[in-house]
Amino acid sequence: MINGSLYLKEMKKSVTMLLIFGGILLMYVSIIIGMYDPEMMAALESFYGIMPELMASVGMTSGATTLIGFMVSYLYGFILIIFPMLFCILRGNGLIAKYTDNGSMAVLIAAPVKRKSVVLTQLAVLLSGVIILVTYITCLELAVSAVKFRGELAVGELLNLNLALLFLQLFIAGICFFFSCLFSETKYSIAFGAGVPAFMYVLQMLANVGKKTEAAKYFTFFTLFDAEGIAANQASAFNKSFILLAGAIVLYMAGTTFFCKKDICL
Amino acid sequence: MNIIEIKNLTRDYGKGKGIFNVSFGVKEGEVFGFLGPNGAGKTTTIRHLMGFIKNKSGECYINRKDCWYDRANIQETLGYIPGEISYFDDMTGTEFLKFVTKYKGIKDTERQKELLERFELDPNVKIKKMSKGMKQKIGIVSAFMHNPQILILDEPTGGLDPLMQNRFIELIAEEKAKGSTILLSSHIFEEVERTCDRIGIIKNGRMVTVDSVETLRERHMHTYNVALNTKEEAESFAKDFGGVANGLNVTVASKQSLENIFMHYYGGDNND
Repeated sequence: MINGSLYLKEMKKSVTMLLIFGGILLMYVSIIIGMYDPEMMAALESFYGIMPELMASVGMTSGATTLIGFMVSYLYGFILIIFPMLFCILRGNGLIAKYTDNGSMAVLIAAPVKRKSVVLTQLAVLLSGVIILVTYITCLELAVSAVKFRGELAVGELLNLNLALLFLQLFIAGICFFFSCLFSETKYSIAFGAGVPAFMYVLQMLANVGKKTEAAKYFTFFTLFDAEGIAANQASAFNKSFILLAGAIVLYMAGTTFFCKKDICL
Repeated sequence: MNIIEIKNLTRDYGKGKGIFNVSFGVKEGEVFGFLGPNGAGKTTTIRHLMGFIKNKSGECYINRKDCWYDRANIQETLGYIPGEISYFDDMTGTEFLKFVTKYKGIKDTERQKELLERFELDPNVKIKKMSKGMKQKIGIVSAFMHNPQILILDEPTGGLDPLMQNRFIELIAEEKAKGSTILLSSHIFEEVERTCDRIGIIKNGRMVTVDSVETLRERHMHTYNVALNTKEEAESFAKDFGGVANGLNVTVASKQSLENIFMHYYGGDNND
């Protein structure tokens, strides 16, 4: 089903990007977890008091007292969403639409390899990258909190949280993959693959700001990633995550079908 | 038996663009020249054969298999050079050929080595830095390296110097001797004249003519009867102009080059 040599070739290309994102995340995650300290908390709490809308718009809410609560507020609202999302956008476009656009897709489909294998291999590469990133984030968080605040982190909750994060990122990868399969030109693949998640994120920010704009949450899939709910072991939060996973699978199937059936003018 | 079979293939892109009711076949072991001005529909036809685009109306088969539904299966014995070569820029030629070998599951790399030598190509250069001719050579090597029985070549000598064009013509002749079936789209008359058995000319999306090179020549050959004063004059005239002397009369034929014949079909709309 999957072509091994294509998978290896593309994973090699992913490695560079994974290393860069790994470095950025290492910096942010260690700095932010390091900031967990009662005095600093008071300072952030006072920021929240001065400009609650701004803080809330990037997912930072008041009342983070435990380490995991702190991480939910300061990592899972922005950094851990945005960086893996960037990876999905760049790689999602680069794996399919870019080749269709520049003509090198001819090498891949003018071969005794089914289009379905080609596209599923590229999907496997994209998903491998996402899984590697989220696994790396988990290890990083466990390591940094073990070094700085031994025994303070609720490990079970963190694992649940990252599973939910993985489902969210798999869904975003699904969006990018779908548009990459759908469009034969990079400009459209990027416009929709990056545009849709970015627009949804802006809606999420709006929804966080206050009561007047709260209705925006019904128009963005980010609502389905309920980090606070997951950390608090709420069943409804887990259900929302499974909707994301199901949505991701639908997007993979739709993208694959489109790619197999479409005219590719090479 | 026709290895490549196209029946009433139509693809209307609107505004007169596309291909209309295209039909022709390529027999086993035949080299078929596919000619036409730019934008006539050569590449659109080839895209159908390669299974890149779906036939909306009409049919096309290779080895009696449907070009759209059985595309992966057809590719097992097919070699293809795209009209516009675009490979993975960040790879070197060596890496690329190695990748394609593994990707297609090719076991034997002897032919690849031999082709690299024949075209004097050192592939150990980033594809991004390669000249058009070098990329074309990579294209030729990757199309022929798995000893395909069917070849679809879309303007395969673009960017090659005359020496290499010559080597390519030799390669085609060898493939033909081996019994390969070849569809060659081209603009170089000599290449077509020297290699092809039959020629199909397409213009504005419609096949204008499909015939053997000889028939095409004969159809466009003009003969003249010239009467001269003496027998001696007649004989020397016949000798100089390649005619046949018969008493005082000499019959001379103008052998039009293939190029002129093409021009006849390519030229203005009144020739349609």
